[in-house]
Amino acid sequence: MSTTPHQRRALLSPLRLRRERRYPELPNGVPGEAGTPVRASSLWRDAWYRYIRNRAAVIAGVAFLALLAYCLVWPLVSPYDPYEVDFSQASESPSLAHPFGTDQFGRDLFTRTALGGRVSIGIGFAATLVILSIGVAYGAIAGFLGGFVDNTLMRILDALYGLPYLPFAIIVLAIFGGGNFWTMVVALSIASWFTTARIVRGQIITLKENDYVRAAHAVGARWLRVLGRHLLPNTLGVLVIAVFLELPGVILGEAFLSFIGLGISPPDASWGSMAQDGYRAYRTSPHIIIVPSVAIAYLILCANFIADGLRDALDPRTRET
Amino acid sequence: MTRLIVRRVLWTVPVILLVILMTFVLMRQIEGNPFRHSERAIPESIQQNLEEKYGLDDPWYVQYLRYVKGVVTLDLGPSLVLRNRDVNDIVREHFPPSLELGALAMAFALVFGIPLGLLAALRANKWPDYTAMVVANVGFAVPSFLVATLLIYFFAVRWGDVFDVPTSGWESWQSKVLPTIALGLGPMAYFARLTRGSVLETLQQDYIRTARAKGLRRRRVVVVHTLRNSLIPVVTAAGPILGFLITGSFVIEQIFAIPGIGRYYVTAVTARDYSVVMGLTVLLALIVIVANMVVDILYGILDPRTREAR
Amino acid sequence: MSAPLLEVRDLRTHFFTREGVVRAVDGVSLSVDRGRTLGLVGESGCGKSVTALSIIGLIPKPPARIVGGEVIFDGRDLTKLSERELEDVRGERIAMIFQDPMTSLNPTLTIETQLVETIRRHNDVSKREARRRGIELLDEVGIPNPDARIRDYPHHLSGGMRQRVMIAIALSCEPDLLIADEPTTALDVTVQAQVLDLLDELRREHDMAMIVITHDMGVIAEVADQVAVMYAGQIVEQASAVELFARPEHPYTEALLGALPQLEDAASRAGRLTAIPGRPPSLLDPPEGCRFAARCPYAGEPDGCAEHPPELRELRPGHLVRSEHPASERARSREGAPA
Repeated sequence: MSTTPHQRRALLSPLRLRRERRYPELPNGVPGEAGTPVRASSLWRDAWYRYIRNRAAVIAGVAFLALLAYCLVWPLVSPYDPYEVDFSQASESPSLAHPFGTDQFGRDLFTRTALGGRVSIGIGFAATLVILSIGVAYGAIAGFLGGFVDNTLMRILDALYGLPYLPFAIIVLAIFGGGNFWTMVVALSIASWFTTARIVRGQIITLKENDYVRAAHAVGARWLRVLGRHLLPNTLGVLVIAVFLELPGVILGEAFLSFIGLGISPPDASWGSMAQDGYRAYRTSPHIIIVPSVAIAYLILCANFIADGLRDALDPRTRET
Repeated sequence: MTRLIVRRVLWTVPVILLVILMTFVLMRQIEGNPFRHSERAIPESIQQNLEEKYGLDDPWYVQYLRYVKGVVTLDLGPSLVLRNRDVNDIVREHFPPSLELGALAMAFALVFGIPLGLLAALRANKWPDYTAMVVANVGFAVPSFLVATLLIYFFAVRWGDVFDVPTSGWESWQSKVLPTIALGLGPMAYFARLTRGSVLETLQQDYIRTARAKGLRRRRVVVVHTLRNSLIPVVTAAGPILGFLITGSFVIEQIFAIPGIGRYYVTAVTARDYSVVMGLTVLLALIVIVANMVVDILYGILDPRTREAR
Repeated sequence: MSAPLLEVRDLRTHFFTREGVVRAVDGVSLSVDRGRTLGLVGESGCGKSVTALSIIGLIPKPPARIVGGEVIFDGRDLTKLSERELEDVRGERIAMIFQDPMTSLNPTLTIETQLVETIRRHNDVSKREARRRGIELLDEVGIPNPDARIRDYPHHLSGGMRQRVMIAIALSCEPDLLIADEPTTALDVTVQAQVLDLLDELRREHDMAMIVITHDMGVIAEVADQVAVMYAGQIVEQASAVELFARPEHPYTEALLGALPQLEDAASRAGRLTAIPGRPPSLLDPPEGCRFAARCPYAGEPDGCAEHPPELRELRPGHLVRSEHPASERARSREGAPA
């Protein structure tokens, strides 16, 4: 069974805090009559204008960039060595000197959170890109070749749909004998690309049957041209959205693995491993687990609102129907 | 309808074979085996004997087929590490708490998530909506280990005298409350967001306008015409969510010291206890596959269009 | 003659969007007599559907709101009724059918459920009795084998059959007024005529009044007694169907009827079939003067007619027009001023 519109929408669907209303018959001048493909440049420009009109998405975008800047820059200028153990300052609550406090080893959490963010966000984006690459390849092959190949590939996907990725991630980590940046990336992407493959295939099939692609064929455009000019630019939007849809899951996956002791190992930090450290001391110093967890929540919130904003901006059809 | 169910059930067979194969291939990539890995030097001859005993020296396809046969006959084989214990024993002992925790969390997520989403949609862009969506967005973003830790911190440490909730084990019903909330909060938020979006979308459908044009009372428009159709994507999402619950329980089981399979799984992987890992992975996959099957069938019931088409 | 069944006076429905106020319906007045058919015609987006939805209070609020005017139905102003009171009017006194029969029926409920719930909502009858009536209705709208079909889901039926089901549902409580919003647009050409005939026949049998909304002058010609032509949220011409087809006055109506030689030439020169060049104005910020000016071949007249919003005036008894240069006056001025 192929994906139904319901399922596709459900996959893409967690919501928007926006006004979403349909106009029974769009009176002239009611905005939002987009949806027809236009030249690439104006497509992106329109998307940009639609995006910046969405207040929540703009705030989330700025907050996300601020987080990135903090993670990249702060460890360079921080007065504290994130690895230096100093038990005289262990488990201090947040103060002016240490805005996030210190951990059990007396390390400044404000610095370590930035460092852990590099690792967590880095793993998150790397794994997301791997997931998307596999998903796009698989989905595009299925969508383009169609027929028997499509059928078989999709049956396999249907089968794997919804399988939890964590058991497989754990096995992969065991194969590599432990967690570091790249093994985490492989572990987190190996069983997570099924949804993306489905979305891409659905998208390609819809686009393939679209009148404008048919029209391009009819006027004799060659496949490659159709692919490059029409299909990819339109799929690209979906992929950009997918990056931010996948990111929360991957970040949480990293955190879970590190939390149960299979991920990044000390003294290196990721938000998951920092949370694991904090869990050991939650009764006396709850801030040590709260800090990295809130960082994770902050990132996921940003990613969700950015994904919402991007979806409204890049895929206006979803709000029309 | 019957045909749909039969076809759907038959489809799970190759799927399970595929999952077993995947796990099998993956597991074989792990270097060493429980006997060659051990720090204690075991004499070569004993190693060979052991490998022969558990069939580890056979070609991989023989091992695979033997394993499939085992799954069919519901015999998951002996543990390679724990002497005198079968995987079946381990499953029997540690699986029920995990299953119960997953089921409770799922129920929690559905019972609170769907009404919350419905409420938000019916009061869209008013304060109940904003409140519900703040709850949903935060609930979705906060990792379950923080929820679990905070629950323990407040209910057992801070206000421990008032509540007196046990924070470990899985015997009394009191001990099940906090883990259920910790595990179910994320999916609850997800269901709430999904329901809200779905209801808003359904409310825009032409047939809702028809229902209103017929003069139906609001309650009937909402319950009969809107909610039922809105639940279709929610039901679709329930399958993968179950997978999420199971994997999420790995963490929750560790925090609340619940004797489920999650903790066991990690130990078994590191100890290269092939048969235990295989058994548990196949079991987890089986649950998800069966859940997906149930979802598909439910989908057929909710949406008559799919009944004949598939 | 008694008071009209429905009288809409100066109705204004605006959409309050982030971009501004869209004046979808901007001062529409019309009336429908018992047992007669009013055709409401105009391009898509001119506000005719919003007018219909405003009458029975089904506009999406927010963003839409009725900001002015009255809808007097059988002596009551519907705009003043509460939602619960409106629910009693809808379906029972005023029924409505919509453009797309594919999406207007709930795909997850049987025809029976959707018929029976309507009948039982407005009549105190048993389920069995409601079902019996439902089958009768399906029979009446020309659905073969109705006692089997009633158990079907909408997707089992063709578009034409679904629209017949919609009509059956609409008729189920013997309404005084049936509003049909583009009832045939989504159907095959051959089916269109059948559905129109059916509607007309049922109107006569049940002595209903009808408002038929369409962009198709052919549909108007077939069923309407009275015609109102809408443009950019306003009525620009209103007359009996016979009069309107014989002597269209507004340049827009002329264009719709394809009776304007200059425009036909322009269109055929461009090699297109569209009869009217240009687009209707944005209702977000409609022109202060004549709304049709941008597309009107007479807008350049030296009297500056484009600058002042024209009033709807009665040219002949029963024939209203909103233009400074209706056809008959143009003809007179041509005769008056020798070339």
